[in-house]
Amino acid sequence: MKTTHLSPWEQEEYVIDRPTPQMLRHLSECAECRDAVEGLERSTAIFRSAATEWSAESLAARPRQLLVGAGARRPVTALRWAIVGVLPLVLMALVFLGLHPSLHPVRPVAAINSSNNEANRDDALLEQVDEQLSVAVPASMESLTHLVSTERGNGAGADVGAPGGKPFVQTN
Amino acid sequence: MSMGALEQLIQVGEKAAEPVRDRMIAELEDVNTLCATYRSRIYRYALLSLRDADLAESVTQDCLLRAHRARDEFRGDCSVATWLTRIATNLIRDATRSRKFQFWKTAPAVDVGVLADRLRSPGLSPESSLVVREALAKVWDAVEKLPGKQHSVFLLRFVEEMELPEIAAAMGLHVGTVKSHLHRALAAVRKAKERTR
Repeated sequence: MKTTHLSPWEQEEYVIDRPTPQMLRHLSECAECRDAVEGLERSTAIFRSAATEWSAESLAARPRQLLVGAGARRPVTALRWAIVGVLPLVLMALVFLGLHPSLHPVRPVAAINSSNNEANRDDALLEQVDEQLSVAVPASMESLTHLVSTERGNGAGADVGAPGGKPFVQTN
Repeated sequence: MSMGALEQLIQVGEKAAEPVRDRMIAELEDVNTLCATYRSRIYRYALLSLRDADLAESVTQDCLLRAHRARDEFRGDCSVATWLTRIATNLIRDATRSRKFQFWKTAPAVDVGVLADRLRSPGLSPESSLVVREALAKVWDAVEKLPGKQHSVFLLRFVEEMELPEIAAAMGLHVGTVKSHLHRALAAVRKAKERTR
């Protein structure tokens, strides 16, 4: 039986690893060494309790997060292959749609002619209105008509300002 | 060879039997199981090492994700917990080296007095509560001041309650080195405790 007390190293060894039978025998008989060893165990136990409490509290305050990207390796790989497979088909479809004549309809000649005829009719109608307006000028404003006709003759419209800066009066 | 050393070899060096290994790989295969089983453990280790909840969460996520992705490389020569601890240890070391961590390290992360109050059992007298509070403050302070590897080894042994060979495998150290770190750490704790008297 060991008669001397356990050294600090032996006390630590008791807490760290498995105690030897000699240590156990000595501790069963020596209250002083037992107190020292129990003190060390209490210190580690209180630290463990506090650490566990702190960690649990901290973890509880955090939302449970899913592992971002977990298992994403295979779906991403599959997606890449899908894109590689589908992309040529999409490109071919776009080329087909771009070249197909049915998607670019040619305007028929008859339609072009009809739109030209409409423009001519519009011009004729405007001239007719001008003539009617000229006839309908009241006698009091007759002296001004030559100005309008002069401007027309110069190629400017009725709403264009006069050479003096004053606008012409619109007649109806 | 001593019996202890032989047991260590049996526990760590020997490859797990096929059914055990299959069960381990199944654990790694399912992310939800992996997360549910090991998240709190890895988070605790990371939080106590880094003293930063956001960084600890980041390390935990990264650790579980890496383990899941590298599951094909798991040989089953240690437990999943030990393997995860090894990954976490590396990630913690990287995080500790980062400049951001060096900057924030000075900030106190936990109020030990509040923790001691939470641990107080209802039947404890005010005097005993005060003793517990002071003891915890001293031990906590001593552990926080431990250098890197001593600190990690202390956490793994006395908080995670891992066996010495498991700690050695997780830290990439010899069992003798682990014991040496633990002796020094306990000596520091003992010294801090004696100052309370």
